[in-house]
Amino acid sequence: MLDFAVYSITIIAVWSILALSLNIQFGMTGLVNFGQILPFALGAYAAGIAASLGYPWWIGALAGLIAAPLIALLVIMPAQRLAQDYWALITLGAAEIFRLTVLNTPALTGGADGLIVPRIIDPVLAMTVAVAVLIVTFLLAQRISSSPYGRMLRVVREDEILASTLGRSPIRYQASVSVIAWMMAAAAGVTYAHITGYVAPSSFTVTETFIIWTAVILGGPGRNIGVIFGAAIIQLLGVSSRFIAQWIDLPPDLIANLRLASFGLVLVLMFLYRPQGLIPEAKQVHDAERD
Amino acid sequence: MLSATDITLSFGGFMALRGVTIEAKPGTVTGLIGPNGSGKSTLLNVIGGVYVPDSGELTLGNLPLPIGRPDKVAQAGIGRTFQVPRLAHRLTVFQNMLAGERDHCGERIADLLLRPGKVKAQEKQASKRATAMLERLGLGHKANDYAGSLSGGQQKLLTMGMLLMSDPAALLLDEPAAGVNPVLIEQQVALLKALRDEGRIIILIEHNMEMIANVCDHVFVLDGGQVIAEGTPAEIRGNETVIRSYLGQPANS
Repeated sequence: MLDFAVYSITIIAVWSILALSLNIQFGMTGLVNFGQILPFALGAYAAGIAASLGYPWWIGALAGLIAAPLIALLVIMPAQRLAQDYWALITLGAAEIFRLTVLNTPALTGGADGLIVPRIIDPVLAMTVAVAVLIVTFLLAQRISSSPYGRMLRVVREDEILASTLGRSPIRYQASVSVIAWMMAAAAGVTYAHITGYVAPSSFTVTETFIIWTAVILGGPGRNIGVIFGAAIIQLLGVSSRFIAQWIDLPPDLIANLRLASFGLVLVLMFLYRPQGLIPEAKQVHDAERD
Repeated sequence: MLSATDITLSFGGFMALRGVTIEAKPGTVTGLIGPNGSGKSTLLNVIGGVYVPDSGELTLGNLPLPIGRPDKVAQAGIGRTFQVPRLAHRLTVFQNMLAGERDHCGERIADLLLRPGKVKAQEKQASKRATAMLERLGLGHKANDYAGSLSGGQQKLLTMGMLLMSDPAALLLDEPAAGVNPVLIEQQVALLKALRDEGRIIILIEHNMEMIANVCDHVFVLDGGQVIAEGTPAEIRGNETVIRSYLGQPANS
């Protein structure tokens, strides 16, 4: 039972980092990124490729944290002059291009077989590392949320033309927040690679992006603690469905599909009945007494 | 002096502006009137950088204004409001005001992480000015309400307040009185006169002729993308061409 708790916390921590990274892009800034699994994959593969070439772990981590923001800028450059809807298509496409490239370059990435990464053997240590990365990410996301920068991100979310009439260039905010968010997701990817000890393209499909989205929509777009809560619920639902599979006699792939269907149901219900999420974005109340 | 010289703009085959020239002096209110579709808002959009004109020049003081870059125009000291007020609806009135603060070090990641004291100091300073401005606009009691919950008239006042946070040299106002109750209109007129007396350039699009007569020093009348008349409000009121463009030809002519 303790092993199970340690495993669950580790997984929840990794997915919470991803949820936070999507939250500062979508929840705060309104960027519809349908390829948030891409920076996660970049981090994981940076760790994997560095390991396969015989470099120490921190070279892989550094490579992931440098590659992700660069690719972020490359991906959003064509989106600069496009409407919001196109962000979704471009990011979705970029993530798929990367996954398919990995599948077709076995010499470097191991192709469909994937790569072996040195694994953190002790589960408690793995959990500690994941939670530590989560804490750093959370503090950064909180600092952004409560700052003048976060306020301007929300102005961009509400109305880009308003932001420009206030003398700001919206794309600069969209680009900078993407860079930060992609670095967060890359950090999650590096951590994930060293926890599982293995990276393969099947871990980075559109479905995974969809799971991050479900966590954010469920928890509360724009609210950091909310999306962590959302990620926890979604991951616990996922883990517990494996137990259910043991009790009731259904084929495992059916259970896996039912799990995804239940996430879809969560999304639909939230959009219909509680679009602000379980823990909605907080109102920033100004106290004139403290000035 | 803010001047737009010989501005031409066409959308496909439609000539929205045909060589429009206007000037607005500091410490005066300049009115733009004309029937719907005459090109008033289009002209404001050209000055504000939303549209790129086919030809023409824009200058503020002696400097050319950036063309087609709303953010650069705003940085040059020109504030602009819209017919339908643009606000961050899901932020409070106070947060909207603070968003008007220009060059906030708290919007730079490096300062945010490395110099929290500096960020806090500027935020505090901006808060004081926002509080004072909200009191001046009569919105002090609404500071912590969501901007989206304000009435239409209050929203228009708030958008003006956000612009004034950056102390702009010029204000472009698109129908500030439309759909606003008479009490708030009086408040707006008083505010406009005070802003004029501070030496700002104010360009005003308005259909409310009482307000035009009340606050404008000079009026340009647009019709079909051209300036058809200009002068003081009293001169304009008696101008035959203007009466015809607003009311149509007399039946017996």
